[in-house]
Amino acid sequence: MFWKQSDRDKSESHRDKRAVNLQNLKEMLSNMEDAEIIERETNNSEKIIFIYIRTLINQERLNEAIVVPLIQSSYASVCDCITNSKVSILSTLKEAETQLLFGSVLVFNQKQNVWCSVPLKNTTGRSIETSETETILYGAKDSFSEQIETNITLIRRRLPKTELKVEKFTIGTYSETTVMLMYIDGLTNPEFVKIARNELTNINFDLFFDSSQIAAFMEDHHHSIFPQFLQTDRPDVCAYSLVMGKITMLIDNTPFALVAPITFFHLLQSPEDYINRWPVASFLRGLRYISFIISITLIPFYVALTTHHYEMIPLQILYVLVESRSKLPFTPFWEAFLMLIILEIIKEASLRMPTKSSQTLGVIGGIVIGQAAVEAGFASKVLIVLVGISTIAAFLCPNYLLTKANTLIQFIFLIFSSFMGIIGIALGMIGILAHLNGLTSLKQPYFAPVSPFYGRDWLDLFIRGPLIWMKRRPEHLRTLQKWRYRSRR
Amino acid sequence: MAPFSLFNKTSDINGFYAMLIVNRLQILYFILILPMYLVHPYMILGIVIIGIFSQINLILFSKWFTSNFSGQGYSAFVQLFGERKFRFFVLFGLIPMLLKIIVLTLNYVEAIHQFIFPSMNMLWLVLAILLISFYVSSKGMENTIHFVVIAFLFSFWVILCFIPFFFPPFASLSDLYPLIPTSWSMNSWKSLLFLWSSFSGPEYLICISPWFKRGQTIFKYLTYGNLVSVVEFLISFISSLLFFGSNYLSKTNYPIVTMARYLQSPIIERIDMILLSLHMFHFVFIISFLILSFYGGIRIVFKRVHKQTTRIGFLACCAVIFTSIAVVNQWFWEPGIKDNLWLSLEIWSSSVTFLLVPALLLAAIKLKGRSLE
Repeated sequence: MFWKQSDRDKSESHRDKRAVNLQNLKEMLSNMEDAEIIERETNNSEKIIFIYIRTLINQERLNEAIVVPLIQSSYASVCDCITNSKVSILSTLKEAETQLLFGSVLVFNQKQNVWCSVPLKNTTGRSIETSETETILYGAKDSFSEQIETNITLIRRRLPKTELKVEKFTIGTYSETTVMLMYIDGLTNPEFVKIARNELTNINFDLFFDSSQIAAFMEDHHHSIFPQFLQTDRPDVCAYSLVMGKITMLIDNTPFALVAPITFFHLLQSPEDYINRWPVASFLRGLRYISFIISITLIPFYVALTTHHYEMIPLQILYVLVESRSKLPFTPFWEAFLMLIILEIIKEASLRMPTKSSQTLGVIGGIVIGQAAVEAGFASKVLIVLVGISTIAAFLCPNYLLTKANTLIQFIFLIFSSFMGIIGIALGMIGILAHLNGLTSLKQPYFAPVSPFYGRDWLDLFIRGPLIWMKRRPEHLRTLQKWRYRSRR
Repeated sequence: MAPFSLFNKTSDINGFYAMLIVNRLQILYFILILPMYLVHPYMILGIVIIGIFSQINLILFSKWFTSNFSGQGYSAFVQLFGERKFRFFVLFGLIPMLLKIIVLTLNYVEAIHQFIFPSMNMLWLVLAILLISFYVSSKGMENTIHFVVIAFLFSFWVILCFIPFFFPPFASLSDLYPLIPTSWSMNSWKSLLFLWSSFSGPEYLICISPWFKRGQTIFKYLTYGNLVSVVEFLISFISSLLFFGSNYLSKTNYPIVTMARYLQSPIIERIDMILLSLHMFHFVFIISFLILSFYGGIRIVFKRVHKQTTRIGFLACCAVIFTSIAVVNQWFWEPGIKDNLWLSLEIWSSSVTFLLVPALLLAAIKLKGRSLE
């Protein structure tokens, strides 16, 4: 296996050095149906060869921007007659290959024996649309698309400063995915940029088709269920993160940017927090934290109480519970486990099913499984209510990846609670918190500003403090500019 | 496989952590049983006086932190005592450390056994708590120190739940009299000894002294930690005095947990179970901290300080701790709190270590200073 890889490397390095000529290019493009090689004669009777990949270039512009000006011109050089500022002279076959595959047209003037490349990329893609994963009522509605240039534009429009730096990386031996590393020079901690650069340079894999795959390679803890990079398709979130001192990575062909370093608490914050009035935003944020805890502990707590601690239930509620559970054939654990599994199946099905079938799913999920399960004696009414509350509570979490992690945590807690009651839940909580305490995002503590403790950052943690008080950038990000306002002096 | 580093230092720890650790080390298990040992109202004054003595001890201790030696860790102790003598001291220090882990774990598990799981085998509870403590400590000393914030957040407010007991309809202010003792007995001395051992724990900060930031006024933070502990002891004792009264207090096991049983909530009963479970956050932090300190001590004794920590070494330490607890629980443990030999041993051992460690360090610094002069 190693010798094969070594052979491939050798052939690639050989190709890097080979000179660009028609023979080599024809060889390279053999069996590529969408590759075109055409010859034209100019008014000066000079022979011009155009080489391009039909599917990657803007064919409508090919004639008007390159072919016609070249044929009709009387200029001496190709570069002079094409009014494209990015025309470059090629010398090696590798350069020619890269240009071709990134949507350039290669132009060869036989008389002058010069190979040029003219970018004519086909930018067909989705237009700028509203974000579907991070919807908000007020605030900017635009979101990223699959076009990396457009995505950079959306951020640049929000941060029109030359300090906003963009570094380009190409990763993936086959996908040749373009990654743009963005940061604000003189504000972002250089350590973050250095780590990100190193990580991006060291990535060695064949194909990347989503930002989460790049995140998986850059993460410090590969086995954790918690995302260590924030994936967002909102340019306003990226711009805000950049100004707070984080780095952002835009990836070609995916609408999701990566933001790092993040903390666990970022995953529970919404862009709308900074639009609402601060008391309302704080209340809603608090509600989100409570819902997060409810979503992971409510069902395990039900199992703990009904299995081990009946004495904790007040008498009136106990009557209802006993009546509801009296005819059930399952223990509380199996009852809850089965209901949660069925719920997960419904949730997964609702994501995969065509939209037109969703009504059927609603009927099956709501009536057949909900009502019929109770009537058939498979689940208690109390549990159905609690499962409903817990599921809705999970949806308050703005980050989809964290919502999925919640589900897994819930199942773990369920097992713990069935064995050890509330002690099991407490043990599970300690385990999760210890795990979060040990996590890092881009080598920075993931559970900051709680642990390690940064008191000043608490103004934007469990509550969203008034913006006029939030004059400092987060302390845990160790930015080069501490203050958010410009000194009048 | 990534190297297993438990004692790496990537950043300095500020005094705020010292405050939390001092407070959590003092308010550990003894707060659950403290009122039944103090019994008499004049012990309110006892808490204040022992709190002041503890403060004096912390003043001595803070001298160590302001000295140049504290940041150097192992090499500082070798300079002060010589390598051979220091290893002997560490070997000697491992005994109270292991005793603390054993006694506190078994006592806490016994409380859980009594109030939450009367039918469960205690060894399962011990295993569960130790496993989670091993996990926390496997994250390394720095992360374990950081974990104190989480432990504090999950447990410090519990004491506030006892404020309603200050206003019971059937008690009055006269229940807190006499504040000055009218008679003094052997039991009163025992109560004071118990109080002193309750304030013990901060001496274990020497295990993490290299992590603290140099040049900060650590004394201030130690004082805050001690002060919060005095307030917590006072709240728990006064509320239990008002709730039970002196006569009944001495006959009650775990008065604090028993009091929590009477807390009312419209949606859930037996709040004591939840509070006792939450106490585990605090408890697991201390056990994890002690496990790492124990492993560090073992490394010094076996001359492996300068070598990389290993998973096998750490797991072996965990195995020793679990086996010790299991053996004591199986063959030597006496159920109950009163006249419990192990508890008495722990009271004496922690009192002695709290008294001697700061004094010994200060004396060593002074002697070293003189010899250098």
